[in-house]
Amino acid sequence: MTHERHIMGIFQDEDQVVTTVQDLKASPYRFERVNMPIPSHKIMNALNLKKSRVGWFTLCGGIIGFLSGFALAIFTATRWDLIVSGKPIVAIIPFVVVGFEATILFAVFGNVIGLLTQTRLPSSSWLTHYDPRCSGEHFGVLASCALEQLEELKDFFRERGAELKEFNYRPKP
Amino acid sequence: MSRLTYAKIDQTILDTLTPPPRHYWWIVGLLFMGAMVGAACWTYQIFVGIGVGGQNNPVAWGTYLINFVFWVGIAHSGTLISAILHLFRAGWRNPIARAAETMTVFAVCIAGLFPFIHLGRVWQVYYMLPIPTQRLLWPNFLSPLMFDVIAISTYLTVSSLFWYTGMLPDLAAIRDRTTGTRHKIFAVISLGWSGAHEQWRHYTRGYLFFAALATPLVISVHSVVSWDFALGIVPGWHTTIFAPYFVAGAIHSGLAMVLTLMIPLRKLFHYEDIITINVLQNVAKTIVFTGLIVGLAYATEFFIAWYSHNAVEMEQFRWRLFGDYRWGFYFMVLCNTMAPLLFLFKKIRTSIVPLLIISLVVNFGMWWERFVIIVGGVAHGFAPHAWGLYAPSLIEYGIMFGTFCLFFFLFMLFAKHLPSVSMTEMKETVEKGIADHDA
Repeated sequence: MTHERHIMGIFQDEDQVVTTVQDLKASPYRFERVNMPIPSHKIMNALNLKKSRVGWFTLCGGIIGFLSGFALAIFTATRWDLIVSGKPIVAIIPFVVVGFEATILFAVFGNVIGLLTQTRLPSSSWLTHYDPRCSGEHFGVLASCALEQLEELKDFFRERGAELKEFNYRPKP
Repeated sequence: MSRLTYAKIDQTILDTLTPPPRHYWWIVGLLFMGAMVGAACWTYQIFVGIGVGGQNNPVAWGTYLINFVFWVGIAHSGTLISAILHLFRAGWRNPIARAAETMTVFAVCIAGLFPFIHLGRVWQVYYMLPIPTQRLLWPNFLSPLMFDVIAISTYLTVSSLFWYTGMLPDLAAIRDRTTGTRHKIFAVISLGWSGAHEQWRHYTRGYLFFAALATPLVISVHSVVSWDFALGIVPGWHTTIFAPYFVAGAIHSGLAMVLTLMIPLRKLFHYEDIITINVLQNVAKTIVFTGLIVGLAYATEFFIAWYSHNAVEMEQFRWRLFGDYRWGFYFMVLCNTMAPLLFLFKKIRTSIVPLLIISLVVNFGMWWERFVIIVGGVAHGFAPHAWGLYAPSLIEYGIMFGTFCLFFFLFMLFAKHLPSVSMTEMKETVEKGIADHDA
């Protein structure tokens, strides 16, 4: 089945969205996404989403930062083997400060990279089949269907109290 | 209080972004002129030399370091409110989190200026960067001053990224409600955010990690700042309580600055339904708590000096109480520990004018705390023949005035051009119920 027509059901009530998403998943139409002004836990739970992988990026960043922080401090200290304040050339305790700060810094960089790659930002593709009201006070449930099911899908949304937004047909490249 | 709805939140916050009236630009212009006064004083110092400041032997660290510590301190409560209170799920933080985060970013920028100013020969700042040069010299990471370079630059980077990430959904909301050039600008800076469930799935996780990483960072940064002093063997500085003492003081001053900024903002932008009296009251209660910690630290310093039976340490603290800078000490005790106790009275902590006045008093007292610690330590050290006094020069006052103006200049620009309250977090607050927000 080709899913060529996109319809968005616009809701104001979170609970209606939850019901609609559940019904949509059991229907012949294809559920695409929900656009929300807030990260609604009710809706997220209804969607039964997998755990995000952003944390792995954060962890990798943190490990890289920890190693780089210590490596930087040790590298710079060993360029000139001068004893300072009676401390060893490679003084682990003071270097913990550098290692710690670098851990946090690189973990945050990893987190940002994770966020950007996982959310696929920056990109304008998220704004195709989008209604600006969804960043305000509305929730938008986007579904697609074959041309012959279009009216049925509209009725599906109408029955659940949604306001409809139909998008112009754009053939997939 | 009228009930908040998503639409009302959007409208209230978007109303603050309408083209500003002429008097706004007058104020911004005056603040800019003030910042230019500071810039002119710094330029003069660069041409003439660091000697135009009041620093001397033995007091080599004056207002430049005092202001550095003061502004780093101010920066801390932004992260406390946005990160630590986020982890604790404290609903009352939501209306003030954005402004506090912004305050953090600007305050760290201002703080970061002072080491540059204090360097004198600022063009040699690259000596502190770990980069290969013809000199074949590398920074020594055994020095607490190098800890500072790493810690402050990390803090600035992390708090800026945290601030921007937190603002992303709001930037998209503004993009969707503007036209013309503003729409184009917000379309670029919102990165194409659409609030799709897939985006939220990763975003909420990433934001949680941001908060979890910012929390130890904020504690580490002011601890590192305190070690600038505590790792020196100067009487009054060489103490193990400095890290928690500085962290508590930083949060104390930062919370006071939050009140100082939020109260006028609330009035000017008609945020009364969003930043309720209960929110301000909760900040005031936290100030009482941090004020008590700071008071305990003041008392502990005296106790340790007496308990140690160290003659130099005891003299340092006798002098703190009765010496040349005793007024500074009295200011810090009265303003930082006594004045916040007034917040124990509900009538005071729920009245706008006393809240604002006491927040200003705490800011004043926290500046004096840094003066007493920094100048007091080196002015009255080990050898009586090396004791000395310090007073800031006109150039230092000019730079200090300029940096205060710069901070408020940046904040004024922010308040009228970006959402000063997080729309998304306010909507989440409404979702959980108004009572939660007021709690």
